[in-house]
Amino acid sequence: MKPASKSLRLTFVLLFSLLFQIQAQPQTRPAVEPRSAAPVAAAQQPVKQPEVKFAILGDTGTGGREQYEIGQKLTATRGTFPFEFVILLGDNMYGGESAKDFQNKFEKPYEALLSTGIKFYASLGNHDVPERQIAYKPFNMGGQRYYTFKPKDGVRFFALDSNYMDQKQLQWLENELKGSGSEWKVLFFHHPLYSSGEKHGPSLELRKVLEPLLTKNGVDVVFAGHEHFYERVKPQNGIQYFILGSSAKLRKGGIEKTELTAKGFDTDNAFMVAEISGDAMSFQTISRKGTVVDSGNFRRVERKAATND
Amino acid sequence: MRIHRLGKATASIVMSMILFVVCACAESSQAGSAQEQSKEFQGHIDKYMEIHKKAVASVPAIPKETTDAALIAKHQQQIADAIRALRPNALVGEVFTPAVRQMILATVKQAVAGKEGESAKATVLGEGNPKSGESETPVNVKVNATYPSTAPLSTVPPSMLMSLPMLPKELEYRFVGRNLILRDTTANLIVDFIPNAI
Repeated sequence: MKPASKSLRLTFVLLFSLLFQIQAQPQTRPAVEPRSAAPVAAAQQPVKQPEVKFAILGDTGTGGREQYEIGQKLTATRGTFPFEFVILLGDNMYGGESAKDFQNKFEKPYEALLSTGIKFYASLGNHDVPERQIAYKPFNMGGQRYYTFKPKDGVRFFALDSNYMDQKQLQWLENELKGSGSEWKVLFFHHPLYSSGEKHGPSLELRKVLEPLLTKNGVDVVFAGHEHFYERVKPQNGIQYFILGSSAKLRKGGIEKTELTAKGFDTDNAFMVAEISGDAMSFQTISRKGTVVDSGNFRRVERKAATND
Repeated sequence: MRIHRLGKATASIVMSMILFVVCACAESSQAGSAQEQSKEFQGHIDKYMEIHKKAVASVPAIPKETTDAALIAKHQQQIADAIRALRPNALVGEVFTPAVRQMILATVKQAVAGKEGESAKATVLGEGNPKSGESETPVNVKVNATYPSTAPLSTVPPSMLMSLPMLPKELEYRFVGRNLILRDTTANLIVDFIPNAI
């Protein structure tokens, strides 16, 4: 890295911290849980320090005013926080999937971002027609209902189809997780494994089959939608869970706070931005009005322990 | 008196043995029948997949990914039309024949049985189900009917999916209300269905 760009980056990080008042929140730090050691080959590789900035949107595809306003706020945020891509947590298209729907519920609301080459990576929700969306290039799904991508060395994202979790998908996930060694493992899909939602609540069926795989294979963060609010769940078995299903839809008062809730926000729409830097991840949740409603950072302490084994 | 007692004991041992043999035979016959049902189902799936492949081959191919959403929808429609043309007289029960239906129904029943199955049942009949009351689009459960792109797709619990016979990626199980449908994912088409499966 050139000195000029390095100092620019440092300035940005400082500005970012000051502007958005990132506070270290100890409760967001995943509890250190014993995990299976990473494969030997992966542990022997030189440790790279990943730097990835990304944004998160969930339950977006209404084509309504709220979606457009969130799109504008997200675009504006990129001015101070230059995220490289956006992940979508499902329900990308409500009530129809014609060409016009793709325009009104995706291309127009995020036009400013798409025109600058920002990539979107979609996962499928229960309101999505899989075959239409997996073939839609701007969703970058590679023609698959579930897929993985690696934006930088040391970080891997996994998009799942939680609406149809069959044996094939589970097997694929296990293989991919095992193969990703000591990388950051970020999962995103539609149905939350943990939730304090009054309406849906957690997807217990999914949790039964998915959670053992995630904990066994050292998943760090999980983003889900479905519930039309924001909730940061207290780390479960060493994994940090976020719910963000309010980037267009909103269920006001939808959270029935439980002991799971680290932070909840159900009075306005929201989006998230996050940065993975080395062994730490910082995040902010920003409302449609531009208020930072949650922020923090956590370190994947247990990963280091695993790779040092 | 003693001889009489011995006779009684022998008789009960013999009876127990007969009962054991009868049970074992019944079990083995049931297993055989489950195997036959699976084989039969696979045969119907293979037969349908031949039609599916023929239909796909008969329409102009499109790239794996495209920015043209209209092209994707048109392609899906063309495949659905081609399938309908290749099986114009398809009826309910052609894939889910009575024997197959029995096997599928037993699997579904087991997946939602008791307290353990409550969450699976709730998942099936929950919000994603087009008849859950949250969907405004009615789904016409009919062989060869298009599954409306405006209707949600029910979530099928993993526990159920893992017990049901595996399908090729072009086909999937979904629920519309209590009906289990076999959906062609490429054509967005209802291939067959079992009414009141849950």
